[in-house]
Amino acid sequence: MKANECMKVLAKHRGDAVVVCALGMAANEWWAVTHSEDSFYMHGGMGLASSFALGLAISIPETPVWVINSDGGLSMNTGTLLTEAGQQLRNMKHFVVDNQCYQTVENMPMVNQNGADYTMMARGAGFQRAITIDNLEDLDRKMPEIVASPGPYFIRLRIEAEQNYQRTPPASYEGPEMKYRFGRAMEKKLGVKVFGPRGY
Amino acid sequence: MDVNERIHAQLVKAGVKLAASLPDDWVNNLIRQVEHGNEIRHVRVGREAETIAICAGAFFGGVRSVAIMGNTGLLTCTGEMATLCLRHMIPVFCIVSGRGSIDDHKVYQEVQGRRTIPLLQAYDYPYKIIDKDEEIDDIPNAYEWHRLQKRPFILFLTKKLLGTNA
Repeated sequence: MKANECMKVLAKHRGDAVVVCALGMAANEWWAVTHSEDSFYMHGGMGLASSFALGLAISIPETPVWVINSDGGLSMNTGTLLTEAGQQLRNMKHFVVDNQCYQTVENMPMVNQNGADYTMMARGAGFQRAITIDNLEDLDRKMPEIVASPGPYFIRLRIEAEQNYQRTPPASYEGPEMKYRFGRAMEKKLGVKVFGPRGY
Repeated sequence: MDVNERIHAQLVKAGVKLAASLPDDWVNNLIRQVEHGNEIRHVRVGREAETIAICAGAFFGGVRSVAIMGNTGLLTCTGEMATLCLRHMIPVFCIVSGRGSIDDHKVYQEVQGRRTIPLLQAYDYPYKIIDKDEEIDDIPNAYEWHRLQKRPFILFLTKKLLGTNA
C-alpha cells in the first residue's frame, strides 16, 4: 500500500486520538491527509516520537494517543519498545510506517533492509498485541479492533517505497509555531493547561 | 528528612507529577525516593534521551515532569535535546549527578567533569549546581524559571550535597 492511502485509512478511524508523527515522511503524509493541529509533527529528535507520545499519553490517560513512527525512527530508538511495554498504557497505540528506506533523504536503504521484523521485536520487548498489516483492505478491516483494544498495541504498516521522495511537503508551520499551535489545540480539545497565564 | 527526601518534597512542591529516569550511583536514592512516594509517577527508560522526550510530551498534556540521570547520560543526549527542545522551544527540567568533580575519583567520569559545562554553554542550556543543603529549597523557583527559558535546564547535584560514597 502507498503511504498516502494508508494515512487516509488511519484518519478515517482516528476518532478523538491525539497523534504524534515522526519527522519526515510520516509527518508529511499525515499532514497532507488531515491538516490537523491536534497532531504534533516532529521537526527533530529523530527516534523520539514514540517517547514523546508516551509522555503525552501518561499525561492525558483518558485520551487515545497514537504515534505514527517511521522505520528509521524506530531503528534509532528500539529501546522505546521496552519502555512502552513496561508502562502498559491502555491509551497508546504505536504505528510504524515501514517502507524499508529513508524516504526523505533520497530513498537510501534502511539498516538491515528487508532483514528485520519490527513486529517480532515488539513482541519480544513485551507487547501482547503486535501485528503487521501490508494492504489497505486488511488495514480498514482491522482498524476498529485496533481502536477498541487497550494499548499498548504495535502495528507495523508495510508500505511501498515511493520515488520522488520529496513529493509530499511538510506542514506549513514549524518549530516554535508547532509548539504553540499544538499546545493551544490540546488546551481547547482536552481542557488541560499547557501554558501559564503569561503564555509560557 | 534526608537530602533525597527533601529534593523529592521540593519537586512535589513545584508541581511535578511525572519523572523519567535512568540510574546513576549518585541519583539512585532520589529515584528510589520518587518510586517510594505516590505523588510522582515514575517511568524507567533504556536511554537518557527517552527521558527528555517523555518530559517534552508531558508538557503538552499539562503535566510537570523531571528527567533524572547521570552526567554521562546527559552527554549522550545533548544533541537530541537541541533538535527536539531547542527546535520547538520546549522546557525540560533535568536533575543530573555532577560526576567528574574534584571529589569524584572514578576515572571513567573524568571527561564528563571537564567537558559537560562547556558543552552546555555551547548549546546555551541554563544550569545550576546545588551543593548546599539550603539550596534545595530553590527547586520550585528553578522550575518556574526554566519554563520561561523554554529550553532544557539542568540542575546538578554534587557529591558533597548527596553525601554519597559512590
